[in-house]
Amino acid sequence: MRVTVEVVGEDTHEVEVPADATYADLLQPLDVSPHEISVLVDGRPVPEDATVDAEEVTVLRLIKGG
Amino acid sequence: MDCDKCGAEAVMHAAYSGLHLCEDHFCRSVEKRVRSRVREDGLVPDDATPEAPDTWIIGLSGGKDSVVLAQILHETFAEDPRIELVALSIHEGIEGYRDESLAACEILTDDLDMRHEVVTYEDEFGLQMDDVAADDPENMAPCAYCGVFRRDVLSRYAERFDADKLLTGHNLDDEAQTALMNFLEGDLTQMADHFDASIGGFDTDGAKAGQPRPRHVPEDMVPRAKPLRDVPEKEVALYAHLRDLPAHITECPHASEAYRGEIQQLLLTLEENHPGTRHSIMSGYEELAGIVADEVREDQQADYGDCDRCGAPTARDVCRKCALVESVTE
Repeated sequence: MRVTVEVVGEDTHEVEVPADATYADLLQPLDVSPHEISVLVDGRPVPEDATVDAEEVTVLRLIKGG
Repeated sequence: MDCDKCGAEAVMHAAYSGLHLCEDHFCRSVEKRVRSRVREDGLVPDDATPEAPDTWIIGLSGGKDSVVLAQILHETFAEDPRIELVALSIHEGIEGYRDESLAACEILTDDLDMRHEVVTYEDEFGLQMDDVAADDPENMAPCAYCGVFRRDVLSRYAERFDADKLLTGHNLDDEAQTALMNFLEGDLTQMADHFDASIGGFDTDGAKAGQPRPRHVPEDMVPRAKPLRDVPEKEVALYAHLRDLPAHITECPHASEAYRGEIQQLLLTLEENHPGTRHSIMSGYEELAGIVADEVREDQQADYGDCDRCGAPTARDVCRKCALVESVTE
């Protein structure tokens, strides 16, 4: 399946993954650790090990310093 | 994916514990970890009373970590007359960046009705970090100057406000990075200082089971504490997002801690392949740093005097902060 992955403030990727892929699998081409981001579906955070159930996801990067 | 506690829709998965949690149980779990840390470190002294409360300064930058810390401490202690909370923010002279994050601090402290003080490097030292970063007379990273100035401001204002403790928003990732850096640099004195300044326990009547060893607070020093240090950075960010806290989300334009960045990447890779690495580094390090502190402390005491210019404790004639201020304002 094809999923649109928007990295907030950066670029948008079209990612092709198998039907049983997890949200963590969508990060493969982005070169980010799951510990540096949150994946949102319709604005709601989702567990990265859940099976992808959306055509579009948003990836929020963590900001250092606080 | 369901919450392991209640079956509602999960918002996160913590690989180190194996748990999936919904918004409600996740937020409660963050709050619980902060409160447990406050209790285990013995932050509330037995002799604090409504008449003689313990005053805690919260270093509030407006970023996610300090905003979450201020919010949870407020919810825990606002009704407790034994504890007084004061937020302290620093404007380093970083145009745009710090103006915006101070706006977040204002919104939060207004919202919580928390006392809020702002100190500027301009007023304190007659300098702006934007100029320091551009001139760089000592050929160092901007963070190296800024860290020295920040520590000076925090400790002086903590004293001025008669504070008993200075609390900062360092999270699990920050602390595991520091632990690993101290270890890799082979610097035992640094480890001992880290323990006595900020991670040792406050209960001096012998550590109970599961409690950290007691720290020895050097004279004239306001002790620090890091109540968020059991919470991974990602979870702090998620908490701020879910509770819609007014956290400022831009990185400092001068951020440049190259070595820390390298350690961070190393730790994230380890965490990915071996969940729980950050937690185990910290539990071993806390124990180790406590033992090292007990050993090193004895040898160290001697040579501290007062800075000839500002009176701050230093092993030299003129303290590092005064030397740097002179160098950048010449």
